[in-house]
Amino acid sequence: MIPGYVDHTTEFDEFVRTRGDALLRYGYVLSGNAEDAADLVQEALARLGDAWPRVRKKDSPEGYVRTTMVRLHIASWRRGHREELVSVVPEEGRFDRYEDADLWAELQGLPRKMRVVLVLRYYEDLPDAEIAAILGVSRGTVRSQAARALDKLRIKRMLQEAR
Amino acid sequence: MRSEEDLVRTLRAGAGHVTPSGGLAAAVAARRRTRRRRQWAGTALAAASVVLVAGGMAAMWQGTPSVSLRPAVAVTTMPPAEEVTVQPAEEVTVQPAEDVTVKPAAEVWPEAVFTMPAAASDGWKYRPVTGISPTEVLLTAESSFEKAGRLEVYDASTGDVRVVGKMPAPEGVKGYYVQGVEVGEEHFAWYGTTPNNSDKWADFWVIPREGGTARRLGEVTGDPADVERIGVTDDSLVWSLRQGGVYRISLSGGQAEKVEGSDGLHLTSWPHAVGYAPGERGQKNQNRRVNLVTGEVTEIPVPPATTKLTCAAEWCYGAAAGDGGLVVQRADGSDIRQFPSLSYFGELLGDRFAPVMPNRGDADPAKEYVAPVAVYDPATGLIGGVHRMSPDKPTGYGSGTSSSPTTIMYWGEGPKVTVLNLAAVTRR
Repeated sequence: MIPGYVDHTTEFDEFVRTRGDALLRYGYVLSGNAEDAADLVQEALARLGDAWPRVRKKDSPEGYVRTTMVRLHIASWRRGHREELVSVVPEEGRFDRYEDADLWAELQGLPRKMRVVLVLRYYEDLPDAEIAAILGVSRGTVRSQAARALDKLRIKRMLQEAR
Repeated sequence: MRSEEDLVRTLRAGAGHVTPSGGLAAAVAARRRTRRRRQWAGTALAAASVVLVAGGMAAMWQGTPSVSLRPAVAVTTMPPAEEVTVQPAEEVTVQPAEDVTVKPAAEVWPEAVFTMPAAASDGWKYRPVTGISPTEVLLTAESSFEKAGRLEVYDASTGDVRVVGKMPAPEGVKGYYVQGVEVGEEHFAWYGTTPNNSDKWADFWVIPREGGTARRLGEVTGDPADVERIGVTDDSLVWSLRQGGVYRISLSGGQAEKVEGSDGLHLTSWPHAVGYAPGERGQKNQNRRVNLVTGEVTEIPVPPATTKLTCAAEWCYGAAAGDGGLVVQRADGSDIRQFPSLSYFGELLGDRFAPVMPNRGDADPAKEYVAPVAVYDPATGLIGGVHRMSPDKPTGYGSGTSSSPTTIMYWGEGPKVTVLNLAAVTRR
């Protein structure tokens, strides 16, 4: 390394190494398929890498990359833009209950934004206000999208009032 | 009826059904390289409308820019460090990051930065082609995105625009787009293609520089239609193909013919063409320069561990292996410099300049000047930043669309764009 040449590579690589798997799982929950999950996590990490010095100083890299993944996914950026660099990620595993497999399949049938709201609320366990900020919509929109999604999935609303 | 707990459990269980395959770090690194290339390529090829995204720049240039003749880069000669990846027989001068300061182009070359209207009075958007003098910019005016319809010249010394002539689409050709425009002694020339279908087809046009009616010289199909770059001489329009080889068509029309001995050659700027050493696509080094008028061939020494070696008349640029940054040398292989804190895209500007990307490190655009891209002048060692990064907005910029290396980079939003015209940089 040239003396005086500032390098953040190691730090960023460490982040990719330690957080990559969790982020891939998150991408899978968001998108519902392995290729898109890999695509999302790679693109979001590439962006994080470019912004690393700034993000590390000001924000949480984890929050930055997760928010980026959500926004990329919502923007449907992948259609027609899929990178050739995506390595194939095997999908495996089964749900313990048949009912869960059904519910998973129905989740994939929801409009993209609705499913994202559910993932942020029930997988990420984020309050509605934070979901609203990530998606750039009002809190009321988050609540109504969540309510409609739960109705479509025939899920009884219980936790709603706590949010 | 399901419960919210069912949903939570399903999502968590679903997350576990994907198995990481490894290689994520490599995939991310590859994608970052692609992103960098695309950031450049996207703007270089097309992105005039994207260019008008960024804001807040206009204020920077208001008032008289302070004139500084001090080089923005302190030139310090250092012996090559052990870790330096380029170690040819020639001594390499390494410019450490702390000695490479990127200042706004308007401070570095105040004579070359000005603003001009972003659109014609009839609303057609301008796209800069290249500078044809220190104050004149050749422009295409577009009725819709990338649909050039008129050639104009803006003169920064008077603020006037002159219409050269219309750029008509040939009759009966659907999806026709004007591609690179070239500046000759007597004529402006361009070619057109139908990029959105699979036909191998192109046609060629000239118009007198003083203005008039565009004249279509002819059209080609098949392999000769894979036009990479054009040139215009006193009596011919010449072009090279992406796969190499140079063709010509007379300005009085007639059949296209191949230029003898031009196999494997690529036009840079008439009468010069280059040949490449074998290598990976997109990474190849230029290793010879040919004057197509005199037939003179000049071998270009390629420094070790260098890719994308790209040469102008006197200077060559390349990328040092292992992300070692920008390499610059004279075309005869002497005076090699390495800039670990700059990256090279593989493009040239004007007769000797190149766009480079500053590796920004810790720089915070909210607190200091950070340029998304900069221009390097090997003759003076000066580096001028194009536009500025914003902490909260995307920053766009564009380069001129001429067939030969353009002298123009531009940026800004609103009714005026800021232009850097390297044809005005006369200091050496």
